[in-house]
Amino acid sequence: MHYDTIVIGAGLAGLMAALARAERGERVLLLAKGHGTTHWTSGCIDLLDAGDDPLAAIGRLAAEQPEHPYALAGTVALEQGLERLRAACEAAGYPLAGSPGRNVRLPTALGALRPTCLLPATMVAGEARQLADGRPTLIAGFHELRDFFPPLIAANLRDQGLHAEAAYLGLPPVERSHEFGPMIFARLFERTDFRAAIGEQLATLVRRGGYARVGLPAVLGVRRATEVVRDLQARAGALVFEIPTLPTSVPGVRLFQALHDAFLAAGGRVQLGSFVLRGEGAAATLTVIISEAAAREQRHRALRFVLATGGVAGGGLRADHTGVLQETALGLPVRAPGGPSEWFAPRFLDEAGHPIFRAGIAVDDQLRPLDAAGRVAYHNVAVAGSAIAGCDPIREGCLEGVAIATGWKAGLL
Amino acid sequence: MDHIELSLTQSLDHCIKCNICTSACPVAAVTDKFPGPKYVGPQAQRFRRAGQPVPDDSVDYCSGCRVCNQVCPTGVRIAELNARARAQIVAERGLPLRNALIARSELIGRLSCGPHAPLVNFGLGFKPARWAVDKVLGIHQDAPLPRASRSSFRAWFARRRRSLDARSPGTPAQPSRQVVYFHGCATNYYEPEVGKAAVAVLERNGFEVILAEQNCCGLPLLSNGAFADARKLHEANVRKLLPYVRRGIPVVGTSTSCTLTLKEEAPELLGLSSEEVHAVAAGTYDIFEFLRDLADRDQLNTEFRPVERRLPYHPPCQLRAHRIGRPVLDILALVPGLRLDESRNECCGIAGTYGLKREKYQIGMDVGAGLFAFVRGSGSDLALCDSETCRWQITHGTGVRSKHPIEILAEAYG
Repeated sequence: MHYDTIVIGAGLAGLMAALARAERGERVLLLAKGHGTTHWTSGCIDLLDAGDDPLAAIGRLAAEQPEHPYALAGTVALEQGLERLRAACEAAGYPLAGSPGRNVRLPTALGALRPTCLLPATMVAGEARQLADGRPTLIAGFHELRDFFPPLIAANLRDQGLHAEAAYLGLPPVERSHEFGPMIFARLFERTDFRAAIGEQLATLVRRGGYARVGLPAVLGVRRATEVVRDLQARAGALVFEIPTLPTSVPGVRLFQALHDAFLAAGGRVQLGSFVLRGEGAAATLTVIISEAAAREQRHRALRFVLATGGVAGGGLRADHTGVLQETALGLPVRAPGGPSEWFAPRFLDEAGHPIFRAGIAVDDQLRPLDAAGRVAYHNVAVAGSAIAGCDPIREGCLEGVAIATGWKAGLL
Repeated sequence: MDHIELSLTQSLDHCIKCNICTSACPVAAVTDKFPGPKYVGPQAQRFRRAGQPVPDDSVDYCSGCRVCNQVCPTGVRIAELNARARAQIVAERGLPLRNALIARSELIGRLSCGPHAPLVNFGLGFKPARWAVDKVLGIHQDAPLPRASRSSFRAWFARRRRSLDARSPGTPAQPSRQVVYFHGCATNYYEPEVGKAAVAVLERNGFEVILAEQNCCGLPLLSNGAFADARKLHEANVRKLLPYVRRGIPVVGTSTSCTLTLKEEAPELLGLSSEEVHAVAAGTYDIFEFLRDLADRDQLNTEFRPVERRLPYHPPCQLRAHRIGRPVLDILALVPGLRLDESRNECCGIAGTYGLKREKYQIGMDVGAGLFAFVRGSGSDLALCDSETCRWQITHGTGVRSKHPIEILAEAYG
């Protein structure tokens, strides 16, 4: 089959690029090894951890670092991409709040306050300035949900001068007796009987403690989260907000589903479980990519390709045993900070981060991959997301922003 | 340690415990008898040692749908780990009689199919009989069983060949191209119309269809953990199909589970890595994969008459496990007027013989609930699916008839 565009990678960058190209009327295939990093991250959209106005800070960053992915993508692609994402979430009944010109801080599952920019409406009532209004906050959870400890969260919030208390909720009778992961809870919260039982407990706690708001783990429904939160608020008699959990991240799954649905509605095709092994081309034009399949490889042809396979953390880059970094799908040249001895800072939690996380593919302002000599390796390939060199997305607090800006730009080129 | 065992052992270290597999697992979503792919796969595997007791029986509740493999972001081969773990349990404790019976689809097919089929079908549709089978054997009394055919597909093919030969004696048609058709047990004994459609489609594309000797692919045995018996079946198929593959004649099948078994499941799970096994695997195609390859080379006959229909289509787990995309959608999109709505539900719940078992029937029905709602909601009186047991489950769960997509394609050729 012949496609106009094949996008490799089903994370935020790949989804944005695939959606943009499908909505231009192209035949698009989204090919991926598995679910992307959406399922690992908070479900919030971080633009840049730099002061109150991330958009202004991105402008300054782009001027100082002309090879930063934000500089190459440009703020127009970022703002348009964010608008398209918001529209997709809105269409899924899962509106995002916030503005690119303003950072907010939200509690994490450790009770730290973490800056982000766009956030699902289900998390709004947990924003730090609201928590600081002097009225008490209840953090509640379940013994059955691992890795979410309300007393720890509340204690850390109190250490930061916020009025927070903790409680564990009793699990209403369900047909399960063990195994309660985030997605299991999310499905339970879509049931009215389950919500009624939780709402009753919350109402009692709120009455006794005079809480203005209740923070719960971000497991309040998969496809109907906004509705679930609204319903719980009505039952509890207080505002309710979600706090992101450890993976699997239900808010991340919601983002994935909103974009995935929009892409399918635009006529796109998705193929998961398909690891791209290599590409073939000539004269700096990629013509075929080859994916692993049962018994033999599958060949895919397209006019253009988007590589959105992630960086070191996402699996798009791998180090071999000789200490050479490889780009796993197309074997593109990787720009890495010297040899393995220079990859890591001496301290694990080093303020400046580890140099290895800035490794990636060098690209031009059309996001085309460059070889070591700075020549375009493939004219019809765009690289998007964390696979691009020159940025440590997690350290800089720009993981989602860079994915959206470069993904959308790859869709516009 | 064979190559698959080595790759399985190594893939354990790729598991980063992110739980994406558990979140996507259709079985863990509906029951906690199955704690999820991560626990019974990469985690429990570290406690499985030869000569030591199996740490946990819950792996038997894995349906083998392979959704975990598809979504894993780090490439852990979870479904294979589970299948091998189940085989270890069977090797230690033996195969329960019920599983030994339902895993022998060829034997059951041969006993059911024939002039006496109406009697068999009556018996299997007779509630008290099913109740007794449920109580005695543990095959759920409501589980979907196929209706035996009065005449096998091979018998039809042989009759047709004789009448063709009688009509034009001495001058056999000489199509330039040949294919071996792998019909599988279901087509031969229950749904010969699928085979007839496949023959019609292949002949319309200028192929001579060869009905090579073949036997059950062994998948029901594999998924019930009876690896030693499955191995005999696969080795027999390799012997029977190899001469054709050696001559460059592709093996094409309509049962996407059988073709996956020949291509990958049998060699990988059984650790068979001979050149002969590889040759047969590499020469085997799902029929729509084969037709799509023809289309890619501009060799597909596209003289379709319009089929003005809009139909729900479920790509079964076993097709997804080929990792070849959606060849049915690619090919049927070429038929004017025909529009397919793809099901986004992961699994129908039957998983071959899984949903037939008394203790697993309800799990299967719960897994399939989303798909059933999708099919019913389509308002269509017909659903399409590439796998036979899934078709029977869809019809059982919805009351809507189901067909193999090749039957629609044969209609389009008129």
